[in-house]
Amino acid sequence: MKLPITLKVNGESYRLDAEAKRTLLDVLREDLALTGTKKGCGAGECGACTVLMDGKPVNSCLVLAVDASGREITTIEGVGGLDGLSPVQEALVDHGAVQCGYCTPGVVLTAKALLDSNPHPTEAEVREGLSGNLCRCTGYVKIVEAVLAVSRASERRD
Amino acid sequence: MQDFDYWEPDSLAEAVTILSALKGQAFPLAGGTDLLPKLQKGQVSGSGVVNLKHVPELAGLGMERTSLRIGALTTVSSLLANKEVSTYFPALAGAARALGTPQIRNLATVGGNLCNASPAADLAVVLLAYEGRFKLAGPGGARTLAAQDFFIGPGQTALTQGEILTAVEIDIPPLHSRSAFLKHGLRKSHEIALVNAAVQLTLESGTDKIAATRIALGAVAPTPLRVRTAEAVLVGTRGGSAAWDEAAEKVMAAVAPIDDIRSTGAYRRHIAGVLTRRALHEAWGEAYETANHA
Ligand SMILES: Cc1cc2nc3c(=O)[nH]c(=O)nc-3n(C[C@H](O)[C@H](O)[C@H](O)COP(=O)(O)OP(=O)(O)OC[C@H]3O[C@@H](n4cnc5c(N)ncnc54)[C@H](O)[C@@H]3O)c2cc1C
Ligand code: FES
Ligand code: FES
Repeated sequence: MKLPITLKVNGESYRLDAEAKRTLLDVLREDLALTGTKKGCGAGECGACTVLMDGKPVNSCLVLAVDASGREITTIEGVGGLDGLSPVQEALVDHGAVQCGYCTPGVVLTAKALLDSNPHPTEAEVREGLSGNLCRCTGYVKIVEAVLAVSRASERRD
Repeated sequence: MQDFDYWEPDSLAEAVTILSALKGQAFPLAGGTDLLPKLQKGQVSGSGVVNLKHVPELAGLGMERTSLRIGALTTVSSLLANKEVSTYFPALAGAARALGTPQIRNLATVGGNLCNASPAADLAVVLLAYEGRFKLAGPGGARTLAAQDFFIGPGQTALTQGEILTAVEIDIPPLHSRSAFLKHGLRKSHEIALVNAAVQLTLESGTDKIAATRIALGAVAPTPLRVRTAEAVLVGTRGGSAAWDEAAEKVMAAVAPIDDIRSTGAYRRHIAGVLTRRALHEAWGEAYETANHA
């Protein structure tokens, strides 16, 4: 069963026809060629597929593309790239918090949403905030330090 | 992912009509965090998905006189952001905080957690302890069920063909009441409960005597379990560790936990006793403050 869908991704509108059973994750990667969003478990466990839906992090592998119709989607491509990294991305690089990088797009989006709603989280809040983003490489310490550093830097600016 | 047809009703009447016309062949979709993994694995015996997200009658979270109405589509993260929930229903706030991950909490709904009917569902055990009233709507009209009549077995509820859970209502607890939720897993977060427990204690005003109590446990029986035998031993007492021990004994006698890949039944039974004691102690301390220093 194919359905007409309008997806709003990173401020742009895309019209396409998609099978009802296709996930937002697969449509982003395969139809829109936005391959920054990664597929890990496909079951809501790992967070590699995290995107923001109306500003909130969700697992795009658990969202049907038809169900995302009309919502504001932000993927890693909408956050920053080679022509200018976002503060969270800068901090992850500075702290050596990126190894293989597979979890990184999800971590960046989750951390961005956390800091947008709570600009100065405690370490415990950062750890809880990132509990849905599994990383097999870094051991998390550097990721947590990077997010706390973004918070401190914005405190100095406040 | 298995194939399915898709509907997006925008009223309760339409949703009920579609679901009953499809005679058990179609499934409601809310947050999808339980349903999508099953569809991915081809485990759903049905060929239709009815997205409930645009049904206005299922939305909303707020006070109606002396009770809180939780629309079935309320997400777990909106429970966490709600003032009434954190003020009057700390066990509900605790269970919401302990459910899944931030990403899951933004998708997962209260209705989905209850209708999925996992014996370990975190919100189910709490709504049992709060004596929630489950509001249902179906081809035969609307009806209300007590929480304990809603859960029938693992994955089984009292919902009949075409019926939808529309909301759950819980009453503001009496004065000098306090509730607590505890969850035991192998990790600190992002974990399905090995055992979870919700209790509520109500003290007589100006004393430390227990006037009423409710004790419910999850993941220790085919459904979330209310343990009235444990409640009975506490009423009229002044609490304290001997009383908590006695209640915990009753809980350990009442539960029927299974062995599975995550835990042995014997360990679950032990933990059920431990969580009962700790939850009672926690709720009692806070209830005592309100009963004696108001
Ligand atoms: C990674 C991960 C972690 C999780 N952690 C936890 C946890 O810690 N604790 C916990 O309790 N659960 C957990 N879950 C399970 C799940 O997230 C919750 O049960 C959630 O609340 C389900 O809600 P939903 O809206 O996503 O349900 P859906 O998947 O949309 O629906 C679940 C079931 O209920 C039916 N349904 C939904 N709404 C209605 C309605 N209004 N009327 C009738 N039927 C309805 C659907 O047909 C389906 O069968 C986890 C899941 C994942 C993937
Ligand atoms: S791919 Fe979505 S959570 Fe792992
Ligand atoms: S950097 Fe490799 S998974 Fe996180």
